[in-house]
Amino acid sequence: MVLSRTVACLVVAIGLGTTFCAAADPVPLQLEPSDWSAVEARARGATVYFNAWGGDEAINRYLAWTAGEVQRRYGVRLVHVKVTDVAESVTRILAEAAAGRTSGGSVDLLWLNGENFASLRRARLLYGPWADAVPNARWIDTHGNPTTVTDFTLPTEGFELAWGTARLTLFYDSAVVPIPPRDPAALLDWIRSYPGRFTYPRPPNFLGTSFLKQLLVLLVQDPAALRRPPGPDFDQVTRPLWTWLDAAHPHLWRRGRLFPPSGPAQRELLATGEVDWALAFNPAEARRAIVRGELPQTVHATSFRGGALANSHFLAIPFNTRSRDGAMVVANFLLSAEAQARKADVEVWGDPTILDLTALTVADRSRFDRTEAPDATLSDGPVIVDLHPSWMGALERAWLTRYGVR
Amino acid sequence: MKTLALMIAAVVTGIPVLAGILITLVKALDSGAWSIVLSTPGVWRALELSVATGAVATIIALAIAHVTVALAGPAHWSSQLRAAIVPLLAMPHLATAIGLALLLSPAGLIVRLLSPAVTGFQQPPDWMTIQDARGLALTVGLVVKEVPFLTFVLLGALGQVPSERLMLTCRALGYGRLKSWLVAVAPLLQRQIRLPIAAVFAFGVTNVEMAIPLGPQTPPTFGILLWQWFTASRLELQGAAYAGTVLLVGATVSGLLAGWVAGRVGNAVLGRITASGRRIVRDGWLRNAALALPLIVAVLGLGAVASLAARAGSGMWRFPRVLPDHFSWVTYSNAGSFAGAPIGMTLLTAAVVTLVAIAITLLLIELLEYSPYWRRRVGIAVFVPLVVPQFGFLFGLTWLLTRLRLEGTLLAVIWSHVVFALPYTWGILAGARASLDSRYLLAARTLGSGPMRAWWTVTAPLLLRSMLLAAAIAFTVSTALYLPTLFAGAGRVITIATEAASAAASGNLRTAAVYGALQALLPLAAFAVASVGGHVLFRRYRGVSR
Repeated sequence: MVLSRTVACLVVAIGLGTTFCAAADPVPLQLEPSDWSAVEARARGATVYFNAWGGDEAINRYLAWTAGEVQRRYGVRLVHVKVTDVAESVTRILAEAAAGRTSGGSVDLLWLNGENFASLRRARLLYGPWADAVPNARWIDTHGNPTTVTDFTLPTEGFELAWGTARLTLFYDSAVVPIPPRDPAALLDWIRSYPGRFTYPRPPNFLGTSFLKQLLVLLVQDPAALRRPPGPDFDQVTRPLWTWLDAAHPHLWRRGRLFPPSGPAQRELLATGEVDWALAFNPAEARRAIVRGELPQTVHATSFRGGALANSHFLAIPFNTRSRDGAMVVANFLLSAEAQARKADVEVWGDPTILDLTALTVADRSRFDRTEAPDATLSDGPVIVDLHPSWMGALERAWLTRYGVR
Repeated sequence: MKTLALMIAAVVTGIPVLAGILITLVKALDSGAWSIVLSTPGVWRALELSVATGAVATIIALAIAHVTVALAGPAHWSSQLRAAIVPLLAMPHLATAIGLALLLSPAGLIVRLLSPAVTGFQQPPDWMTIQDARGLALTVGLVVKEVPFLTFVLLGALGQVPSERLMLTCRALGYGRLKSWLVAVAPLLQRQIRLPIAAVFAFGVTNVEMAIPLGPQTPPTFGILLWQWFTASRLELQGAAYAGTVLLVGATVSGLLAGWVAGRVGNAVLGRITASGRRIVRDGWLRNAALALPLIVAVLGLGAVASLAARAGSGMWRFPRVLPDHFSWVTYSNAGSFAGAPIGMTLLTAAVVTLVAIAITLLLIELLEYSPYWRRRVGIAVFVPLVVPQFGFLFGLTWLLTRLRLEGTLLAVIWSHVVFALPYTWGILAGARASLDSRYLLAARTLGSGPMRAWWTVTAPLLLRSMLLAAAIAFTVSTALYLPTLFAGAGRVITIATEAASAAASGNLRTAAVYGALQALLPLAAFAVASVGGHVLFRRYRGVSR
């Protein structure tokens, strides 16, 4: 059996005291439907520590609902470990590996993408491949949405399961900004004309760094340079970005000496009226906030004319998880039409689904009926597939060196 | 008896603190870590900020606390003052800081009250009233939080000082009230509260709870840097956290030494003031002016509470409206569903911590009854965790817990909390026990009661009030602790404190306000229970003094 081979491989790896099957990737996990019910049976009674960003109340509520459902249906206790940045959990796993803890790790399921996936994958600290073996994975729209199998240009190879998709979206208060600027040059003009009314989350916040990447993609002379990892020509390639930021910063909120720590923080500034703009990776976020009475009705969504930065976010299982079966059961549930529809509901979370709706049964498809995109969302327009993950760190370091100390 | 007591004290606080410090020192020997620390942009500025905000806040808070007690003591409203302080005292640092951030920000309650009528602002002004680069907001926050604590400590010390007799003597010699207090009473009080002052300073220099919502960003305080390194995604940075801890602890210790020297200089200056012979009889205006200081602190504290409550219950709150557009109980009622688990965890932890801390303290006190020498030393030893910056041993302790495979367990969190609750329970119960009239106990023993029975029928009822106060404080300490919970709990033991901090760190002020309000409510409930419980339980002993 393939599963037992994987287990054997794990045992050998532990015996050798090396990281997980360092020599070669194990054979993909393939489960027959009967095997899956065995997984569910083994998962019963397990506790799954799910390390996921906890900075958004709506997401936390969604995961609290998930915890109730998986407890009820599968007897799995799901604990949402709210992290400020999932990189914390990546560090934890690296530290556990360094301490030789090849089992009984503290993380069972991770919400991640990009750089964090890349570094865990590089260190071979992820369990897998498992993602294609999970029953609900077959509904994922891998053709229509290539970011579900390519994470920041890296193939996922079954080591992470797509959970949702995102595109960088700008929100503005249309009562103050009747016609939003839709390219970097126009935005810079707007910022100059309305000092103190624009800002972006402070890198290394994920959204802040993504905004830098978005600008870079639109400003760079040769986009091909961004398809590969940053090289010795980093300074030269990124020069237009720093020129733009140098010009904009003196006119930002708090003159660019203070930045909101996260996307929701900036959304709160927009809600109070401190700024006129907010950023989000979830195009429906403003809509959700309006529905919940947290943003004025006048807030609209837009994206850059040159294309919105897009990526998917994923679920992964660390190599030393305490309850692999529990983690897979939770992941499978999160991919079910019911969970995805609830996730897409703007009154709950409003994160667009990654499932191929045309492939679903009529009953499952109807679950998505109430998630039609209203005004403050933005569901079409050109997208730019995200950059190689190493750009993230390089841009963050460069930003901190330039603007970290005033 | 003595050996047993010392062993208990060693296991409970000695080992974690010492091992934590030693491990931190050993891990800090890595030169690579130092090069990361020293090459961090703005690292010296961060260190300077930490020490400066901590020192300035300690000095100002101490001065205001002295003024408050000087005004209240002779006027015989110190017991009312003590009662008024308790709620402010019970407010956790984090909740106070979140409330102050909401109050002082350019879109906060103060500017709203004045806009647009006075200021003409239709949009919030683009001012750096919080998170300013010089750390002024952070200093204000520390002062607001530490004044109640130092006042409380001073009021406690007042009982050990014959203040009325001293005041009477000075007044008879023709000195004004303020001067009498300054030269005769204040120095005696000051001598009694050195350790609490050191604790206030150490906390001020190293805290993250207040620096998260109020402190600067470019660069942040050194404590925040350490916190960021510890939770960073690169392992090298964790090494930097150990090295940085040594640097910060070094700076704190230097600061304490400097404070000691300053205290000597201050004494000399005070000697001169005393010797000048000026009586300063007409100090009425000065007393009235001085009254403004504690009043400002009280207004800021209450404003912070009001902002916290309003923001926690508000939906959207456009500037410049003074009241939220709508009060949504959604947030509060939702808090029940999404904060249920953290509330439960907080209550469980705090309850166990309270019981354990009280039990250990009572046991230690009885075991050491006949060894005053060791009692004093244990008393100082349990206080160490408050004076040593928390980072100093928490990093090392986490490493140790990881080796023991205890990290992330409730046991580890409770253990770390007990370490921080003990100094308070000890401070209250050891004092109360020492001031018991030993003849009661003697009478019980003479009448043939064994030590256990004598303790149960005589000592325990006499200590009951102090036990309840100690319990309320231990409970409060546990609900407020953030760093120990984060470190010992490996981010997996989730309490309201960790939730409040993570919401504040991601700038989610409304969620932070909900948790902050909960964090403020629980200790208040604890104090209320202690007070009611005291009345109920005490009915049987109505004739007993104290």
